[in-house]
Amino acid sequence: MAFGKKKGEAKDPLANTPLSGILDGITDLKEQPIPEGHHLLEVDDLHMFFHTKDGVVKAVNGVSYTLDRGETLGVVGESGSGKSVTAMTIMGLIDMPPGKIEGGDVLYRGKSLLKMSEREMQTVRGNDIAMIFQDPMTALNPVYRVGDQIGEPLRIHRGYSKKDAVDRAAELLSMVGIPNAEQRVREYPHEFSGGMRQRAMIAMALACDPDILIADEPTTALDVTIQAQIIELMQKMQEQNGNAIIMITHDLGVVADIADKIMVMYAGNPVEFGTADDIFYNPIHPYTWGLMRSIPEQVTDEKKPLTPIKGNPPSLVTLPKGCSFSPRCPYATDLCRNEVPKTYTLPDGHYSKCHYALDPDFVKGRAPENSRSYSGGTPRVVIDEPAGAPVAGMAKSEPGTVTAVDGALAQKAPEAASAEEGEE
Amino acid sequence: MPDTSTVAEATQTPVYADDVSELDPSQRGNDPLLHVEHLVKEFPVSSSIFRRGKKRSVHAVNDVSFDIYPEETFGLVGESGCGKSTTGRCLMRLINPTSGTVVFNGEDVSNMKGKQLKGLRHDMQYVFQDPYASLNPRMTIGELISEPMYIHNEGGTNEERIDTVRQLLKVVGLNPEHINRYPHEFSGGQRQRIGIARAFALHPKLIICDEPVSALDVSIQAQVLNLLDELQQEFGTAYLFIAHDLSVVQHISDRVAVMYLGSICEMSDWRSLYAEPCHPYSQALLSAVPVADPDLQRSRERIILAGDPPSPIDPPSGCLFHTRCPIAQEICSKEKPELREIEPGHFCACHFAKPFPIEGSSIKL
Ligand SMILES: Nc1ncnc2c1ncn2[C@@H]1O[C@H](COP(=O)(O)OP(=O)(O)OP(=O)(O)O)[C@@H](O)[C@H]1O
Ligand SMILES: Nc1ncnc2c1ncn2[C@@H]1O[C@H](COP(=O)(O)OP(=O)(O)OP(=O)(O)O)[C@@H](O)[C@H]1O
Ligand code: SF4
Ligand code: SF4
Ligand SMILES: [Mg+2]
Ligand SMILES: [Mg+2]
Repeated sequence: MAFGKKKGEAKDPLANTPLSGILDGITDLKEQPIPEGHHLLEVDDLHMFFHTKDGVVKAVNGVSYTLDRGETLGVVGESGSGKSVTAMTIMGLIDMPPGKIEGGDVLYRGKSLLKMSEREMQTVRGNDIAMIFQDPMTALNPVYRVGDQIGEPLRIHRGYSKKDAVDRAAELLSMVGIPNAEQRVREYPHEFSGGMRQRAMIAMALACDPDILIADEPTTALDVTIQAQIIELMQKMQEQNGNAIIMITHDLGVVADIADKIMVMYAGNPVEFGTADDIFYNPIHPYTWGLMRSIPEQVTDEKKPLTPIKGNPPSLVTLPKGCSFSPRCPYATDLCRNEVPKTYTLPDGHYSKCHYALDPDFVKGRAPENSRSYSGGTPRVVIDEPAGAPVAGMAKSEPGTVTAVDGALAQKAPEAASAEEGEE
Repeated sequence: MPDTSTVAEATQTPVYADDVSELDPSQRGNDPLLHVEHLVKEFPVSSSIFRRGKKRSVHAVNDVSFDIYPEETFGLVGESGCGKSTTGRCLMRLINPTSGTVVFNGEDVSNMKGKQLKGLRHDMQYVFQDPYASLNPRMTIGELISEPMYIHNEGGTNEERIDTVRQLLKVVGLNPEHINRYPHEFSGGQRQRIGIARAFALHPKLIICDEPVSALDVSIQAQVLNLLDELQQEFGTAYLFIAHDLSVVQHISDRVAVMYLGSICEMSDWRSLYAEPCHPYSQALLSAVPVADPDLQRSRERIILAGDPPSPIDPPSGCLFHTRCPIAQEICSKEKPELREIEPGHFCACHFAKPFPIEGSSIKL
C-alpha cells in the first residue's frame, strides 16, 4: 500500500499502473457462471512445501474441500498446523521459492488459480477473493489514512477516482458499524480501537463485493464482546452479499457459531472434514475427539475433567512415520505408526484420515459424548448396526431410542467407502 | 420505568464486598489468606497529550475489594485493559497501590519494605502470561527453577536444590534430564510448565496466575490447567487466576469476580455466577462466548453489546457500564451502584439486580 496523503501524483504508484489494461483485459471472474459439475471453490489434494535450509516444511500436505456461495467453511487446528499458509497458497501469496506447489489444484469457478499469471491473480485478489489477515495492525499501513486504504481496491479493480474511493470508503465504514464514518476515513489506524480496525479490514475486504471472503483469525486478538460484534457483522454481510466465507480460527466455539462445513487440520493435513453437525455430533477422527475433550465446557452443575492431548505437535520438517498424529494418539497401533492413513470418505462427503475411521466399534467406544448423544437427536450416520441398536456416539443407556437414520453407511469395512491414496 | 425510590432505599444499606468473610456461609470461620479492601491504582498520564495544567490519570483499578481463602482458586475475569494484571501486581507490590489495604497472611502488605517484602514474595508467587518473554533466555531451566531458592537462601545444599529441581520437573511433567537446557529449546506449553515449577519451588501459599494459558493452544492449555489443579491438591496452594477466557476461569475457579473498567461488577461462587449472572455486563459477557455446540449456539439468546469499553482515563459517571448497558436507566448515569450482596455470597453492582429487577434485566443463557 503506497499511496494516500497528498504527496503529488508522482508518488502515487497507481499513476504508473496500467489500470485500464487490467480492467479491459480481464473480465470479472465472479460474474462468470460456475461450470456444470463444479463448485465455487474446489481445493483438490493441495500440497505446498517450503524448501528451507533446515529441510522441507510440509506446510500444506493434502488439503481438499469444496465451497459454494453463501457457505461458510471453518478451518480449525492448532498453531502451526498450516491454516494460514493454506489460505495464502490459494491466494497466491506464498513466495515461490521457498514455497513450491508439490501437487493438487485450486479451482475457482472451474478455473485453476495455480495456473494463473501473477497479473491475473492480482485481479482475483481483492476483487473475487478477499482476505482479512490475522493481525489488523500489520495489515493496515500505519502511515496512510484508513479511508485511502479501504478505497485502494476500488481504485485498483474498479477504476474509482481518489475522491470517489474515499467517499465509498466512508459508506463502507458506516456499513460495518463505525460511527462518524465521514470523519473516521481521515484518521490513521492507530486512532482506531482493535475492534474498529478489524471492522475497517472487513470494510476493505468487502469493498469490491468479493465472491469469497477469507478471514484469518479475525477475532483472536479481540475481546469476546467485540468478537461477537464482528461475527455478527460478517454473518450480516454474508446474508446481504451471498459471498462464501472461509473462517480460520483455533476456537471451536467460533466455528460452531458460524460454519456450515469444518476442516480440522493437524500438522499441515486436514485430518477430518465434514458439515458442522458431522464434526460436532459425529466426529470420527481421534484428533478431533482430543480437541473436544480439551476445551472447558460451560457447565452449571458438575465440572468435567479435561482430557488433554498428550505431548506436542510434530515438527513439519520431520513428520512422524505413518499417521502424523500417532505419537499423541491414545489408540495408535503398529499400523498407524507405519502407514499413512488413506482418506476415508462417507457417502455424504464427510472424510477422515484415520485407519479406523470407518470402524463403527472403534468410533462408538471412543468418541466423546455430546449434547446429541444425550438428547437423542437425529444421528447422521449409523454404521452397520441392526435398527434400534445404539449408534456411534450414542449414550449406551438409551439403546433403541433412535430410529431415524439418514446417509446411512451400509458397510463396515474400510474398502467399502471410497478411499484415496494418502500421499506422503 | 422502575421505581427509583426503592432503588435508592436499597442502596442505602448496601452490603459491601469486604464483609465477605462474615457473609459467605461456606467460608465462615475461616480467615482469609488475602484480604483486599478499597484497592485503587491510578497511573498518571503525561500531560503533553492532554490539556496543560490539568492532571489526568488512568483509573486502572478503582475501589476493588475481595478475599481469597486458603486452598481456593479465585478467578478474576474481564476484558483487555480492565485492570486485572494491575490488581495482581499491586497485591504482590510489584507496583505500589495508590490507596487501599492489602492484608496477606495477617500482615499489611502496603507498607512492607526490604526484608518483609522479600518474605511476601516468598509466600506469594507470580506466573506470567507470556511463556516466551517471562523466562531469562540465558539461564538454564535448572538455574531458573532454583533461582528462588538461592534468593531466599533455602533448599539446603546445592545438591539438594538440584534434587528439588529434578523433583519439580517431574511433577510438572518435564524430563528431569533436561535440567541443563535453555528455554528456547522448549515449546510454549513446556515453558509455561517451567514458570509454574519455578513458582512452586518455595511452596508458596498463594500464586497469582496471570493469564497462564492464554498464549497456549487448547490441547496444551488443558495440560497446564490439569497441572495447576493437581499441584493445588498436592500442596494446598491458593490461586488468584487472572484470565479473559470465561470458560477457562469457570473450569478452574471456586469463586469468580468479573471486572469492568477497573471495578468488580459481580462476584460469586462459580456455580451461581455462571448459572445466574445478575449483572448485565456478566450476562453479555457470558452470552458472547461461543459454545462448541452448534445446536446450543443457534438456539441460545445473545446480547451483543454496542461499542467499545470507554477509556479508563475518563470513566463514565455513575455506573461504569451505563454507556453500553442494554437496560440502563436515568439513575445509572447519576448514581454509582454499590457492590451489594443480592444472595448469600453473591455480590452485584447494579441498581437493578435482584431483588429489584426490571423487565428485560435478565436473560436466559
Ligand atoms: N516462509 C516460510 N518458510 C518456512 N516455513 C514457513 C513459512 N511460513 C510458514 N511456515 C511454517 O508453516 C507452518 C504452518 O504455518 P501457518 O502460519 O499456516 O500456521 P497456522 O495454522 O496459521 O498457525 P497459527 O494458528 O499460529 O496462525 C508452520 O510450521 C510455519 O513455521
Ligand atoms: N504502567 C502503566 N502506566 C500507565 N497505564 C497503565 C500502566 N499499566 C497499565 N496501565 C493501564 O491500566 C489499565 C489496566 O491495565 P491492566 O494491564 O491491568 O489490564 P488487564 O486487565 O490485565 O488487561 P489485559 O487483559 O490486556 O492484560 C489499562 O488501561 C492500561 O493501559
Ligand atoms: S490412524 Fe491411528 S494414530 Fe492416526 S488417528 Fe487413527 S488411530 Fe490414531
Ligand atoms: S446500574 Fe444501570 S447501567 Fe449499571 S449495569 Fe445496572 S442497569 Fe446497567
Ligand atoms: Mg495463522
Ligand atoms: Mg493483563
